[in-house]
Amino acid sequence: MISRKCKSVRLICVVLTAALFLGGCSSSPAANKPAGEDSASNPQSSVLRIALNSDIVSMDVQKTSNDYLVPMNVFDTLFEVVKHDDGSTSIEKSLVSDYEVSEDGLTYSFTLREGVVFSDGTPLTSEDVKFTFERMLTLPDSQQTDYAVAIEGANELMEGAAEELTGIKVLDDTHFTITLSEPFAVFLAQLAAPSTSILSKSIVSDAGDDFGIVPEKTLGTGPYVVTSWERGSGLSFSYNPKYWGDEPSVKEVSAKIMDASSMDMAFQKGDLDIIDCLMLDSAVVDSVYKTRFKDNIVSVDRLGINYLMLNENVKPLDDPTVRKAIQMAIDRQAILDAIYSGDGKLEDGVYPSGCLGYSQDNQGWLKYDPDGARKLLSSVGYSEGFEMELALDSNAAVANQNVLQIISQNLGDVGINAVIKNYDHASWLDLRNSGEMESFLALWILDYNDPDNVIYTFFGSKDNTVIRSNNYSDEATIARIAAARGIVDPGERMKEYSSLEKKLVMDDAVWVPMFSLKHLFVKSDRVADFVPQWAGWSDIYFKKVTLK
Amino acid sequence: MTALFKRCLGMVLVLLGVMVLIFIALRIIPGDPAAVLLNEHVNEATIARLTATMNLDRPLPEQFLSYLGGALKGDLGQSYYMRQSVLSLILTAFPYTLKLTILAAAFAWLIGIATGVISAMHHDHLPDYLFRGLSMFGVSVPVFMVALLLQYIFYFRLSLLPLVYDGSALSMILPAIALGWNSAGSVARLTRSSLMEQLDQPYLDTARAKGLLSSQAVLIHGLRNAMLPIITMMALQLSGMLSGAVITESVFGISGLGRLALLAVQTRDMPLLQGTVLFTAFVITLGNIIADLISFCLDPRVRTKK
Repeated sequence: MISRKCKSVRLICVVLTAALFLGGCSSSPAANKPAGEDSASNPQSSVLRIALNSDIVSMDVQKTSNDYLVPMNVFDTLFEVVKHDDGSTSIEKSLVSDYEVSEDGLTYSFTLREGVVFSDGTPLTSEDVKFTFERMLTLPDSQQTDYAVAIEGANELMEGAAEELTGIKVLDDTHFTITLSEPFAVFLAQLAAPSTSILSKSIVSDAGDDFGIVPEKTLGTGPYVVTSWERGSGLSFSYNPKYWGDEPSVKEVSAKIMDASSMDMAFQKGDLDIIDCLMLDSAVVDSVYKTRFKDNIVSVDRLGINYLMLNENVKPLDDPTVRKAIQMAIDRQAILDAIYSGDGKLEDGVYPSGCLGYSQDNQGWLKYDPDGARKLLSSVGYSEGFEMELALDSNAAVANQNVLQIISQNLGDVGINAVIKNYDHASWLDLRNSGEMESFLALWILDYNDPDNVIYTFFGSKDNTVIRSNNYSDEATIARIAAARGIVDPGERMKEYSSLEKKLVMDDAVWVPMFSLKHLFVKSDRVADFVPQWAGWSDIYFKKVTLK
Repeated sequence: MTALFKRCLGMVLVLLGVMVLIFIALRIIPGDPAAVLLNEHVNEATIARLTATMNLDRPLPEQFLSYLGGALKGDLGQSYYMRQSVLSLILTAFPYTLKLTILAAAFAWLIGIATGVISAMHHDHLPDYLFRGLSMFGVSVPVFMVALLLQYIFYFRLSLLPLVYDGSALSMILPAIALGWNSAGSVARLTRSSLMEQLDQPYLDTARAKGLLSSQAVLIHGLRNAMLPIITMMALQLSGMLSGAVITESVFGISGLGRLALLAVQTRDMPLLQGTVLFTAFVITLGNIIADLISFCLDPRVRTKK
């Protein structure tokens, strides 16, 4: 009896082992093949399949400053940024059909595009625009107040001293004016950011707390509607037939949340149409996607700058000569080549290339010069070097850790003992926001294409210099940065920003500008064309994808 | 009944202790929830406003009493990060975790007990060597590695099962195997050793002498007596699976309780973390009471113990 059982057990074992072995050896069917090879995948022709590496927090753009996938595809803004073939960008009309700016730069008169409706058929009116900005200022947990504070009466509304935003006057259903409390040249650029997506007063009011949470109640004027959102699993979208613009090629979208290895498998298997290389392991990108799928890569210059911030409140970083020595001691090109395979461009200023106001005059001056750095350190009494801390955010990409290691070695070569200290994300933010972080490596990607978005964020007020842990101390320059926002003449404004950039980075060495990187996506053979977001965000516009 | 009442009272005290500990722990560790929420788009005014909205500017005792009062009424607060009721988030996520746990436990126990029994009955022969090797593999390979292997074989190579959870029953198979894999190994090893102790017992000779087949004697009498330590282990495994499915849920995209807790930790979402910890503690203590009741029913020695 036992002997017969033994035989059957052995037989089962052999069959199982053989099945696993054969399974491991067989080629996978329906796989994404590199360009030129046949792809057997044949999902529904108008469905776009993408992956996300984490869930969104809210579909309500006024309650998040990180998740723009829904605002970009379900809502519209008054203006939009258009990227041209030469890489330049311009601000074009979107929900507005016409506008005028008064000579003093204070009053903007707008005409809304005729016939625009939200996806439930509710017409878009000037009242919706006013409601959007009032809600932005009065929502207790609003994260977008920065985009409305320039409007006259914003502070009074936020403090409860007024019941409405006096700076916005509704003339009729399609005409309204916005008056600013002082000239603010960046205002139109801000109106093109997803943060200022226009909401419907009636839809938001009817939805109550469900707005931004329940897909059926979170409706916009954009080309898509969210059909489902399962927390932790993903979202699906479908085309909004009431959309006012051109009908997009993609009619449905499935966005599933996956970890890096699952994304890689799903793409190679043919179950994803676009994959974001930033979400994959860089070794896999180099070994698989840049080789086998090199003809499927879509590359975009990311309008963002990687920088090493230096805190003036920490000795001896308070000495500009020491900061200049650090700038010269870091071999940025070697880092770019070693960690990012050269997929980027060295930056010597504050604004990344592609940003409005980017000036060639402020580029090309910063050279790797360890001998020069040592001499500078000796000249201020640090020939023996000193100790400093490089703070690492545990949530940052692995590449950041590798970059910091090379920076630490570079600094070690000139006698500076730079120790990398790892902080969990929340602690890292806490320390940085307290103004006490000694130095850190980070990336800033533009929200709107204007130098103000970088320079004001980091150096435009005393509070900003503290919260970004640079503690820049030149109050006259800080005042100039704040004042530059109000310069009405565009030429004059850009000249001032160029001068400020030179002062900050070349003269005062406030930070070490590192590089701007390319953002790589890989598309499947089902995708005929794909234009990433103008600043190279991971969030994409579905309407910019054309399927075969 | 007195014992049951004592266990229930113990459960209430444990939950109260958990509430106090997690409340204090979350206030000690660094990390401002408002700052995490704002991330890069941060400014002093918005942090101050959000802090006030979250009631984090109130004195700690007031915050605790408010939390305790709410919890007693079944209100665990509002998630800072997701802006929804914590209780509704937990009640939405828990069925996924429960389903995953039940399937994983079924896989682990069926495979574990079956292979353990075969190993014991054929000890020091090929099936024993094979299953001992497999159970060693089961207990020693980390869950993410098992998950990756399963995805590679059954999704990428064989195209038999979905890569991640998509709402279908089929898509729950790989997560259940991944989560139950380690437990299956442990159960198999314990079943083998526990059953082997019984195989030499004279009562099995008696059963065989009465005409039962050897396998019948082992399965009917031997396995029953060997089950007590296995049931204890299974109860512990169940608690572990309910609270420790974070990796499995993350890899397979299941929006369960483990993933919710992980998100709460990462984002310093105090109400959500307090809620998930409290709920998990409740489920585990309740599970322990149920395991005790099962032992009470199965083993007469437990019933008669004073």
